Amino acid sequence: MTTDSTTDEVATWQVITGSARGATHRVNGLPNQDAVASQDGPGGVVVAIADGHGHVRHFRSAHGAALAVDVACRVASQAAAGLAADATEDEEAERAGQELARATVADWRSAVAGQLEVRPYTAEEQSILDRSADTPVVPYGSTLLVAVIAAQWLVCAQIGDGDMLAVRPDGSSFAPVAGDDRLDGRRTTSLCQPDALASFRTGAHDLRQVPLAALLLATDGYGNAQADEPWQPSVGRDLAELAACRDRHWFGQEVPGWAERCASAEGSGDDATIALLLPGDGQDSDGRDAEEGG
Amino acid sequence: MPGGGISRRPLHFIILADCSGGMKGEKIQALNFAIADMLPHLAAWERDQERAQVFIRAIAFATEPWWHIAEPQPVAQLGWKPLQPVPKGLTNMGPAFALVGQALASGRIERRALRPAMLLITDGLATDPPGGFEAGLSAMMAEPAGQAALRLAIAIGRDAKSAALDRFIGDPGVPVLVADSSEDIADRLVAASLAVSRMSEAGADRGAVARRLFGAPGDVPSKIFDQDTIV
Repeated sequence: MTTDSTTDEVATWQVITGSARGATHRVNGLPNQDAVASQDGPGGVVVAIADGHGHVRHFRSAHGAALAVDVACRVASQAAAGLAADATEDEEAERAGQELARATVADWRSAVAGQLEVRPYTAEEQSILDRSADTPVVPYGSTLLVAVIAAQWLVCAQIGDGDMLAVRPDGSSFAPVAGDDRLDGRRTTSLCQPDALASFRTGAHDLRQVPLAALLLATDGYGNAQADEPWQPSVGRDLAELAACRDRHWFGQEVPGWAERCASAEGSGDDATIALLLPGDGQDSDGRDAEEGG
Repeated sequence: MPGGGISRRPLHFIILADCSGGMKGEKIQALNFAIADMLPHLAAWERDQERAQVFIRAIAFATEPWWHIAEPQPVAQLGWKPLQPVPKGLTNMGPAFALVGQALASGRIERRALRPAMLLITDGLATDPPGGFEAGLSAMMAEPAGQAALRLAIAIGRDAKSAALDRFIGDPGVPVLVADSSEDIADRLVAASLAVSRMSEAGADRGAVARRLFGAPGDVPSKIFDQDTIV
């Protein structure tokens, strides 16, 4: 962790989101299988994005993604309250990330089971499941990226592809969770795999030690559209500049358009979802804001 | 929008063309004509679909391989420069596969690139020294992108259809395409380019498409545009 400076004041944070259906999904009659949700409460702010897998064996992945962001926000809000209430130390913040992952996996599986009770697989869906020899949870397969900012802490958890980018005021940037070599652009780790918890990557950062100008969460439809390779340095530089000179209202107007461009036939053609967290004055905060693919 | 702009995901298409001594005369002329004829088909598909930007590279091989097109060229801008056979050149495929492996090594192609496609065109059996074919194939397959690639092969003449080509393809559902005569080469290359392009057509009757393209039952290979699934 790089130490740039120390500040005693911890800013309030705003979340701006955008999600767009991929051009190939439009052509093929598929819905937007991404989902995004955020929650701003007394403990802090939480945001989650998820990308339901596109393969036919994950035929309920849009539902899986929607359940994932809903569950993650609920669990993360509890984590935020804990982080805000205590004089949390580094190790406790790290453990909060791990507990966030554990509780999210457990609650997501319960939520999937609950939905299956209400809406069991049709005969056609069951035949796909049988051909794939998958467990009932696999059709709901999804990635998940979740971030909590509470008191001075940024706690993150991620399973599967997609990107988190923490941007410092000087424009430098870093990934707040470790990478995963298994993510080759074609296969991904997933909430639906049997050992999902082991595939979660978590991180905790003290924002007094590492002040941030922005935090970006994006599904892979965003990163796969970027012409630069790697794209993170230039995006980080530009975000820092924009965060310094543009107000939050401007971002609120622009971010959905960024997702649209990335999801277009000129970009990745895949569903693209962005959640941008900015320290600010709270003028645009409107509490819970959920948007699901469909 | 922050960053350096957006673009479609790259699809790298690598041609491996036999330039051994046996290709001299009518065969190499037909091959050059057929590749030049195939490129507009790929360019038209690139314009029509919503996802990929096609880049072409080409390796010529005889006793030794060499890059005919070393840097990835956008298909729409590529003019095919004719290949020439190597007098008395052998048909050593292993070193050509190893060259592909080097080009597809981690860090050498974009992380966001789609699964690559390879097209091997040959008129003869591999003449690699013992172990040479397998060593080259293993080097290529050791790279994740080489392993994941769609691999197609065209045999010019029934005698060129060999178990070695099946091992290169590595998928029982994808037959070696046989060009019985020089005139057939262009048709087979068009079929190969269609096999690459049709992969994106969700909901298509792929068995019917396969029968039309390959004359054999089975599924059109769909590796490149397979949607993401779990590790």
